[in-house]
Amino acid sequence: MNLSDPARSQRLEALAAEYALGTLPARTRARLARAALGDAEVASAIRNWEMRLAPLADGVVPITPPPRVWKAIVARLGMTAQSPSDTSWWTSVALWRGLALAGVVIAFALAIALLAPTQEEPQQPIVAVLADKEGRPAFIASAQRGERFMTVKAVGVATPGSGRALELWLLPTGAAPRSLGVIPAAGVGRVTLATPVETALAQIPALAVSLEPAGGSPTGAPTGPVLYTGKIERMF
Amino acid sequence: MAELSARSAANVASRNERLSGLLSRVALKDQAAFATLYRETSSHLFGVAVRIVRESPTAEELLQEAFVSIWHHAASYDASRSQPFTWLNTIVRNRCLDWLRRRELQTVQLTTDENEGSSSELRADDPTPEEMLLKGADAHAVRECVDELDAGPRQAIALAFYQGMSHAELAAHLRQPLGTVKSWVRRGLEKLRRCLDRAGFARG
Repeated sequence: MNLSDPARSQRLEALAAEYALGTLPARTRARLARAALGDAEVASAIRNWEMRLAPLADGVVPITPPPRVWKAIVARLGMTAQSPSDTSWWTSVALWRGLALAGVVIAFALAIALLAPTQEEPQQPIVAVLADKEGRPAFIASAQRGERFMTVKAVGVATPGSGRALELWLLPTGAAPRSLGVIPAAGVGRVTLATPVETALAQIPALAVSLEPAGGSPTGAPTGPVLYTGKIERMF
Repeated sequence: MAELSARSAANVASRNERLSGLLSRVALKDQAAFATLYRETSSHLFGVAVRIVRESPTAEELLQEAFVSIWHHAASYDASRSQPFTWLNTIVRNRCLDWLRRRELQTVQLTTDENEGSSSELRADDPTPEEMLLKGADAHAVRECVDELDAGPRQAIALAFYQGMSHAELAAHLRQPLGTVKSWVRRGLEKLRRCLDRAGFARG
């Protein structure tokens, strides 16, 4: 076909329009879709029409699909069950309820952390105990007012496995988590803060640790499961 | 009216920004982002699918396939080429239209009346295709393009777009000769194109 032929381009334009609208009969529709795979001009004519008509789709009144649709998608993709109603884990009600329920264990662990400080670790005023879903503490994060780092001490037995790392996150209210970096699974680690602790942790109600590829999340957002979460307690 | 359009345009822009962010995370196989994307878009996309295929079980299956495909192909989404909402809509619409047109090849032509309302999800007070057309046009400040269409072409385009009607179905539904509805669709689309392109759509 001659690409510069005006009759051809007019015909293509008409076909692309009816492809996007949906009125092409099955065979013509399939032929045009196949042509688009190998012909950029055809593909772009179709794409332009899809874009022109797309605003009209906003007139559709939404209908909520039954929950089995999401369950089937998750099953087909072999994913760990994520509830779509949980939105993101860091905004989920379950997470914050979990934090509240874990309160008793946390308070106990906090008391230990604060009452029995060692020589190397003087009592510090901002503390979060990061615990698993059952409320078992795994890390204690603490920071001194005015300083630009946070100390993270492993108190549980976290085993990320080889090729994996644990990453610490700030969980701001109503916004995406911000990484504080990878932390060691055992012993005492230290993460740097961009600003002094009282500003770095302002508006931050909680911290979380997620499982990530070695070196940390490649995306800047948590990619793996969240293993531990903890509410920030202000001690000053 | 102008204020309403400006607010709608701002809503559309912030939705697109949010969806773009989610799609880029889905491209990196972020399951939480995928769940959020589903939560934010599945009701709209299911609404699109149910109206086109007119059977809930098929619409469910096609929506499921569409999301499996979105998971696998999110990396091929190109923000410089289309808005995320357009991209998602197109995936679902094309699956539904492919299914519908293929089925027409395999079965005796059903009359539109037998087909209508066969989905339990569609209530009696569901807006008509023309009402959806006007609502969609309003949301994007392209109402004047829809208003420019004559009654026949406007109705034909609305029925085709929202309910997936073929030329033959349009002719039966609108009680017009096939040639008439074909030319309504063709002329209506040409007129829409001139107006929408003036309004700044489909650039690049």
